[in-house]
Amino acid sequence: MAAADSPSAALRRDLCSRGIRLAGKMRADVVDLLDAYVEQQGLDASASVAAVEGVPLAAVERWDEQTGTQRLLENLAAYRAFRALLAQMLEEQREQMGEADAGLGRALAAVLLQVSAFAYHLEELLRLESRGIPGEEEDGPPPPPRLSLFEQKLRGLGVLRELAQWAVRSVRDLRQLAKPSPATGAAPDLAESP
Amino acid sequence: MFSRWSWVACGFCLVLNICSPDASSGLVQSCGHIIPESPVLALGSNFTALCILNESCLDFGNIYASQIIWKIKNRVVPKEQYREINRTVSSVTFNDTSSLATPLTCNILADGQIEQNIYGITVTVGLAPEKPKNLSCIVHQVSRFTYVMTCTWNPGRHTFLDTQFKLRYSWPEEIFPDCIPKDVNNSCTITDIQFFVNTEIWVEATNALGKAESDRLVVDPIDIVKPLSPQNVSVSSGILPTVLKLSWENWISNAVMTLKFNIRYRIAGDTNWMEVPSEDTASPRTSFSVQGLRPYTEYVFSIRCMKEDGQGYWSDWSEEKTGMTTEDQPSKGPPIWRIIDTSHSPASWTVHLIWKALKPFEANGVILQYEVTVRDKSCLSCPVKKYNVTSTNHTLQLPEGTYEVTLIARNSVGASPPSVLLIPASNSKAPVKNLRTLPKHDKLWVGWTAPNTYVLKYVIEWCLVSSSSDCIIEWQIAQGDVQGIDLKGIKPFKCYLITVYPLYADGQGSGQSVKAYLKQDRPSKGPTVQTKKVGKAEAVLTWNHLTVEEQNGFIRNYTILYKTIDGNETVVTVDPSKTEYTLSSLTSDTLYTVRMMASTDNGSSTGPDFTFTTQKFGKGEIEAIVVPVCLAFLLIVLLGVLFCFNKRDLIKKHIWPIVPDPSKSNIAQWSPQVPAKHNFNSKDQMYPEGSFTDVSVVEIEADDKKSFSEQDLKPFDLLKKDKSTSEGHSSGIGGSSCMSSPRQSVSDSDEGETTQNTSSTVQYSTVVLNGYRDQTPLHVFSRSESTQPLLDSEERSEDHSGGADSTAQRQQYFRQNGGQDETNTDRPCFERAKQVTHADEGDLVGFVQLQISGQSSQPLGLGMEKNTQEAALSSVLQTCTEGQTVRPETVEENPLPVDEMPKSYLPQTVRQGGYMPQ
Repeated sequence: MAAADSPSAALRRDLCSRGIRLAGKMRADVVDLLDAYVEQQGLDASASVAAVEGVPLAAVERWDEQTGTQRLLENLAAYRAFRALLAQMLEEQREQMGEADAGLGRALAAVLLQVSAFAYHLEELLRLESRGIPGEEEDGPPPPPRLSLFEQKLRGLGVLRELAQWAVRSVRDLRQLAKPSPATGAAPDLAESP
Repeated sequence: MFSRWSWVACGFCLVLNICSPDASSGLVQSCGHIIPESPVLALGSNFTALCILNESCLDFGNIYASQIIWKIKNRVVPKEQYREINRTVSSVTFNDTSSLATPLTCNILADGQIEQNIYGITVTVGLAPEKPKNLSCIVHQVSRFTYVMTCTWNPGRHTFLDTQFKLRYSWPEEIFPDCIPKDVNNSCTITDIQFFVNTEIWVEATNALGKAESDRLVVDPIDIVKPLSPQNVSVSSGILPTVLKLSWENWISNAVMTLKFNIRYRIAGDTNWMEVPSEDTASPRTSFSVQGLRPYTEYVFSIRCMKEDGQGYWSDWSEEKTGMTTEDQPSKGPPIWRIIDTSHSPASWTVHLIWKALKPFEANGVILQYEVTVRDKSCLSCPVKKYNVTSTNHTLQLPEGTYEVTLIARNSVGASPPSVLLIPASNSKAPVKNLRTLPKHDKLWVGWTAPNTYVLKYVIEWCLVSSSSDCIIEWQIAQGDVQGIDLKGIKPFKCYLITVYPLYADGQGSGQSVKAYLKQDRPSKGPTVQTKKVGKAEAVLTWNHLTVEEQNGFIRNYTILYKTIDGNETVVTVDPSKTEYTLSSLTSDTLYTVRMMASTDNGSSTGPDFTFTTQKFGKGEIEAIVVPVCLAFLLIVLLGVLFCFNKRDLIKKHIWPIVPDPSKSNIAQWSPQVPAKHNFNSKDQMYPEGSFTDVSVVEIEADDKKSFSEQDLKPFDLLKKDKSTSEGHSSGIGGSSCMSSPRQSVSDSDEGETTQNTSSTVQYSTVVLNGYRDQTPLHVFSRSESTQPLLDSEERSEDHSGGADSTAQRQQYFRQNGGQDETNTDRPCFERAKQVTHADEGDLVGFVQLQISGQSSQPLGLGMEKNTQEAALSSVLQTCTEGQTVRPETVEENPLPVDEMPKSYLPQTVRQGGYMPQ
């Protein structure tokens, strides 16, 4: 109980709470953005998209067996990837679209900000876990191959869909982390995990 | 400014460079410059500037630092502030930059004391920015997905410099673009807001003198949101007549922010809002059923929202939406009352049943009809009468008795509970006590003390009292447990008659009434006063009461103000019930102005002025004067009559002297040769002494002188001397009757011929020289040519004349005169003259004539009077002339005693007649 009342515990709880709400809002915004994106890009909402390269899949086996640190690290890696992909999409969007589609661009930028903010939340939580924050790759992900415009649209659709999935998973992960108990007890085990 | 100065400086430099060896090179060089160049200085700080001369100018122009003069604008800086650092550098120091101005110039006195400018700089003075304070931010929701954050702060003092403010915000790992305020320096709006991340916000203020930052505000923008108010609000009636369902849409998804709500509502037309308890709407929702509403009532709803946890701001209230609850059966029966008209016959009532329409919250719908039931309580077998009425009154003809009236209101849903009114045969129960009123703002409170027995209800009747129309009764029912109600709709300045009836379960109490005003004012006019009766020292004033419309309040008193034109005003206060007042202690025969003032609790009004004049005499005063005067006059007259009656003989002698009857005279024995003395003696014998008041002289014309003795003729000789002109013509009458005046002489002369012609006949002549009793003296000379004896009337007329026919009478006078002279020697001559005038005006003729003839009028001494009998006739005449100045009227006013009258005649008569030798 004493730990629960400490400033770090309060901060952790606050970060979790805020992160949960941010993830929820991010999911809502991404869902709205998906509709706008599909309509704007002339895509079919039911079109299937292959997995986006460089983005870890949200679906995972034995999710409930994961430690808190594992959850945080997987989330951080995923959102860093989304940050880069969304920045690229925004750039492509600005190149392809004119001022008429400024609304879609603003929505993409807003989601990008949310992804960045969520990554910041994850990093803060990792710091509270006294875990080192893995550095971002200096060179970043390898530049994607030059894609056609349609392929860019499909990739964008895939990124947003996966982001929506990750938003849902992140909410669940943070809620799990917000639970006061065993997560901290499992912390030594987490130290050994990659 | 600076550019201008630079131009001037360059101009001077050009002049200086004309002499410069480098001028040939074509480059323009100044002979010096100032360090620092155009500084920005803090207000109140010190400042030092250096003017550095070029070496090249020193040799050619003989210019040195000691010749430098510093100027601010056109004002020379005192030399005390200079310092010559070396031969080419001069400094100037200012301890307070507030004394600085632009431009600051470096000048030099060249040869010939010509001041030339070397260089100049502009100086800017201001303040460093203060730390911005009170930074606060609010996130406004603009649309469903758009939020803007507006931050405001206090920029601090004015810096006099161009100061830039920047609103900066950042995440720990990301710095966002600055927000630069436009046109203002205390607020800025950020459009790119991300929730759920703590954002650090601060303000930077920067100018040439420094930079300041506000305290940093760390906030998650989601916690300072002011959301948009719910939209598409709708109201629908529920199943129950007391429920309305409110539905709406939220602008914010639950993913972003969960909301709580406030719902307020009011009855349409009312201004007071009611609120749904906040705990009922503290969770996210899009609808709510408001309960406990009135049936058949229109309500207005409005709703607002905010973040569920209470952080942030309430939205504005949504647009108002109205909804109406459904009908329900009336909640109560209509209040009912009656007015009984017994004017036609006490045994037969005309009962006007009146009731009030139910209020909307009581009717709970549209009242379709009223059902009236009348039951005669004194006749159990009589059938109950029922009436269906759509209006709010019903008139019945009922015989006197006790009735129970039941009233039910019915709408589309059902019927109201019945209202019951008992109409007893008489209001024999106890009335309320201590009925009173009290104004309360725009309402009139009516209070009473309840009777000792239980009262079911009270009926309060009131009506506007008017002098021109009947009292239109309004009424209200109060429950039996109250002892006062507020009457609404009462007009100020109007008189209301309020009556309270207690209603018992088994009867009704008699009504108690009181008059009341909601608000009083001063009367609209004052009473018109007038006099009913005006006396010498009092006046009765009357006036009419003001009409109730004119009173504007309870008349507390009347005030009478009255005054004379130049006097002080007197004030009298009169009881308001009076219409008459008597002013007393007024001054007689004086004009008074009176006016009247009516006073209420709130002021007074004065009526028109009325003027009246008090009478000169009081009641009975004239009678008190006139009656005694009349009585006195009557008394005097009576006394006079009595006196005359007592002295009738004497009066008769004076007024109607007995004229001797010539027929009885001894004319045959009378001859001119007979001395007058004999005639006198005969007269004396014939008439009693003192019976004559006048003298008549009868003369015989022919040869009268011969018959007189010498002594008797002496007076005539004297007269002849005085009146020589008339002597020749005067008749015997004129001479013998002592009428020796010129006038008489003329008269005598006029008739001289006639006299001579008739000298052989006996003639009677009467001469009246003075008027009788104020009558104008009439000088008549009548000569009777008749040979007939004289009648009584002739005798009377001759009584006034100074005729010489009565020698005997003259003798009587002479005796009386002698007595008088002895006893009254001290009297002045004029007093005696009065007596003479009164006693025998005829004797005065001679005196009058003498005075007219120009005799001296000096008063004579008493000694002369004593000797009148022996004195010469001339002196006598002179003496008695004085007596003629006294008017005969004075004699009449002071009549002498009768026995004294002859005494004053004697001397004159003797002298005048001159017939009687003493």
